[in-house]
Amino acid sequence: MIHVQYLTKTYEDLNRGRLVAVDQVSFTVRNGEIFGLLGPNGAGKTTVLRILSTVLQPTSGIANVAGFDVVDQAAEVRRSIGFVSNNTAIYDRMTAAEMVEYFGRLHGMGRAETSHRIDELFAQLRMNDFRNVPGAKMSTGMKQKVSIARALVHDPPVLVFDEATLGLDVMVARNLLSIVRDLRDRGKCLIFSTHIMSEVERLCDRIAIMHQGRILDSGSLGELRERHKQDDFEELFFGLLSQHESMNSMDSGVAI
Amino acid sequence: MSFSGNGKRASRACDGRLSWMSVWLIYAREMRDQFRDRRTLFTIVVLPMLLYPLVGTLLLQIVQFTQQHTTRVCVIGTEHLEGVPPLVGNDCFDESVVGEDKQLAVVTYPWREVMTDRTVYERAEDWVRSGTYDAAVMIPKDFLDSKDSSRDSSIQIVYNVASDPSMVARDRVSKILGLWRDQWIRDRLSDSGIDIRTLQPFHLANVDIAPERTREAALWSKLLPFIMLIWAMTGAFYPAIDLVAGEKERGTLETLLCSPALRSEIVAGKLFAVTTFSMLTAILNAVSMLVTSSFVFQHIGVGSGVGAAIGAPPVGPMLWLFVALVPLSTLFSALALAVAAMAKSSKEGQYYLMPLMMVTLPLVLLPMLPGTTLSVGTSVIPVTGMFLLVRALVEGQYAFALWHFPMVAGVTAVCLWLAARWAQKQFENESVLFGGNEQWELRGWMRHLWRDRVEVASPAQAMVCGVIILVGLFFGKLAVQTMPTDFAGIVRLVMTPQIGFILAPTLVMAVMLTTSVRQSLRLRMPHWTTIPLAVLVGITLHPSYVLLATWIRELYPVSEQTLASMKPFTDQISQAPWLSVVMLMAVVPAICEELTFRGFIFGGLERFGGGLRAIIVTALLFGISHGVLQQSISAALMGLLLGWVALKTQSVLPCILIHVTNNALSVSMERVMQSGWRGADVFIRSTSQGPEYQPLWIVVSMAVTVTLLIYFATLGEQKKRSESLAIQPCAA
Repeated sequence: MIHVQYLTKTYEDLNRGRLVAVDQVSFTVRNGEIFGLLGPNGAGKTTVLRILSTVLQPTSGIANVAGFDVVDQAAEVRRSIGFVSNNTAIYDRMTAAEMVEYFGRLHGMGRAETSHRIDELFAQLRMNDFRNVPGAKMSTGMKQKVSIARALVHDPPVLVFDEATLGLDVMVARNLLSIVRDLRDRGKCLIFSTHIMSEVERLCDRIAIMHQGRILDSGSLGELRERHKQDDFEELFFGLLSQHESMNSMDSGVAI
Repeated sequence: MSFSGNGKRASRACDGRLSWMSVWLIYAREMRDQFRDRRTLFTIVVLPMLLYPLVGTLLLQIVQFTQQHTTRVCVIGTEHLEGVPPLVGNDCFDESVVGEDKQLAVVTYPWREVMTDRTVYERAEDWVRSGTYDAAVMIPKDFLDSKDSSRDSSIQIVYNVASDPSMVARDRVSKILGLWRDQWIRDRLSDSGIDIRTLQPFHLANVDIAPERTREAALWSKLLPFIMLIWAMTGAFYPAIDLVAGEKERGTLETLLCSPALRSEIVAGKLFAVTTFSMLTAILNAVSMLVTSSFVFQHIGVGSGVGAAIGAPPVGPMLWLFVALVPLSTLFSALALAVAAMAKSSKEGQYYLMPLMMVTLPLVLLPMLPGTTLSVGTSVIPVTGMFLLVRALVEGQYAFALWHFPMVAGVTAVCLWLAARWAQKQFENESVLFGGNEQWELRGWMRHLWRDRVEVASPAQAMVCGVIILVGLFFGKLAVQTMPTDFAGIVRLVMTPQIGFILAPTLVMAVMLTTSVRQSLRLRMPHWTTIPLAVLVGITLHPSYVLLATWIRELYPVSEQTLASMKPFTDQISQAPWLSVVMLMAVVPAICEELTFRGFIFGGLERFGGGLRAIIVTALLFGISHGVLQQSISAALMGLLLGWVALKTQSVLPCILIHVTNNALSVSMERVMQSGWRGADVFIRSTSQGPEYQPLWIVVSMAVTVTLLIYFATLGEQKKRSESLAIQPCAA
């Protein structure tokens, strides 16, 4: 369960001044559901997800992950979350098995428990043929699998995938999507952020469209289509974005 | 980009109990990672093992080369040596004058044979210049019993100062000629029936009472700690860069940050790993150097030649070095870790660590200076104190070392705690961990400075202000050539740095970089009671201040020279009218310095939960700005107290009042005594050293000061409570 209410994050930017990266964002993700966060680059998706993973602190607003507050119970939140992002790389000088074992142990798992879990995950993700390959010698697909195994090692109730398909070839990306679906079927609570529309259409139960730090609209695919009277999802998406931008320029026009 | 406004929240988020299991896991991973890195292994393990034997081999080669060179000397004018004691024999000097030294190769020429179209002197010069001979001894015809010292009537040694073999030859030949002359004098005296003993009324002998161990250790106890510390620093730098900046660059740091490991566990694990590498580097280098040098010195046999100064290093006592290595390595590692955290890439990290090394180096070099020994004064200097303690241990002065141990250990522990805390803060700072990905550009940055101003300065701006002031004061001080002799000159001397170098940069920065000059200088009205109480603190604090200043002068005595140069200054001050002196020495410095240090700089550094940082840094800057060491120390200590008051009252005004009162009392004590006012006797008594506070008043005043400071602290708490009460309804 993820519950986010009026989440705001601002920071100082050298070129643009005080920048509102995330502006009053609210949403809820239930267990057994994939929530899609769709938006162009710089929409604030990564900032939201970094706040959920407690790496960043919100400026204001509340975020709850699996019943824990991201500010006051950060360590508990990190214990119940698995975070896969293209910002979370794997160690070059560690093998796949060592990497996953390290994070399992950091999650407080015992040695035997970890190794049992590694066997299970490696079989499930078909990773046994590069079990002892160091990170530096892995392909992008292999690295991504290690990241997923690392995020799943403690079997968390909440999983966050931030632009997880970026840079993957079609085969690997397809494989990843099926893993995500499989996790949903096992009752996990998932957030999947991307800027690729087809992935959202195929995968997500509910979608939030983000632009310039705000959620423009959210709901299931059907709800969105109905509300905006647009069957083509791509048209719907761009329609929302341009509508938001024209409103923005009107606002600033009034202000002047 | 730089994230802001979360300092306090960040520290709350990282609360929680530190699990040593996680620290151990992180430590073990970092160690394994470093050992798998070829470059690290090479610089830390392989290089020192190979470096010293290699240097040793080269040294041996060079020594052999110099030993194989035989000194060649020519003696010109042998025919003039008839009827005098023998000087030269066959191809060598006579055995009676050479002593135990090794023989020189001597070629003899009669005077006439050398003369061609050029003079004998010119030819001898040619020979020496071209290196045919290292030196030439000229014996002219009339050298015997000559009255003047002209060229034609004295023995000359022709040598070339630009050539080392020639200089060696000159020294040896002049020694031989000296011996020859001594012999000759003795012969003449005994011929005329005088007892030779009249020439030498007594014998002179040097007796070194240092035990053999101290003598051997003397050089090594200076050299080896220095080398070990340098290597401990270098050994900490590279792993620190790789473990923080490198991980940031490779993107693995964020992976670790979203694991359940607490920030404190991550810092501790990484700190221990860096410390281990720092110590390993230092130990391997020291061992390799000890082994190589003891072998090389044995081989060359330098020990016997120069005396015991450079004997083979005593291995046993050197084990004491490890006592110092653990805390100092940890200290360097924590500093390196904190500095490396600021960098976004390994390359950037290397730029940052060089200045860190330059700043730490004086602390390592100071104990190498002749005459620096362990004392109460030196034991409070970080790094230096530990270094000197180890030297005392190596030399076997255990009781002496034990006496100073608590102080050195205390200072080192405080430094360690501060450094570790700094490193921890860096790991909790979002802008340090995630900021700064965009391209830096001068115009954009200038625009940002102007556009994104807030009411108070940023921590970086505050630091820059402090550095500008210190640099300005440094050059300002250099510009003062002579001490003025009239009061107008003294006024200029005091006002120029206060207004020109301290206040002016602060005001300019406050106007340019903030939206509110008043807020940025912390010109706020504190709780009304603090105003009169600050004056009272100034009065009751003064006896402690005077006591402190006296202690410091005893620990680090002021040199005669400094006292003499200050004399015209103190004379002028004591003669000038009281009011102008108070204005000049109390009011002006208090306003300028407080607005700067406890105003602008404090306000900037205090942001983002940096209260402790603000107190310590402003106290240091305030201390250094005083220039004279003794004043700097007492000013820095007073700065800590003033900083605390500034933090608790959230205003610069109480600090100004305390400062004015304190300085005014300093310049008035003498006058109060001279005024003959009887009431003063309760507080002050007159001694040969000048006026002094009554012991009873010192004790009472201290108690009053402490009470008042505690009251100030409760004001801060009250303010916080009322603020949080004001916020709560909004949040609900």
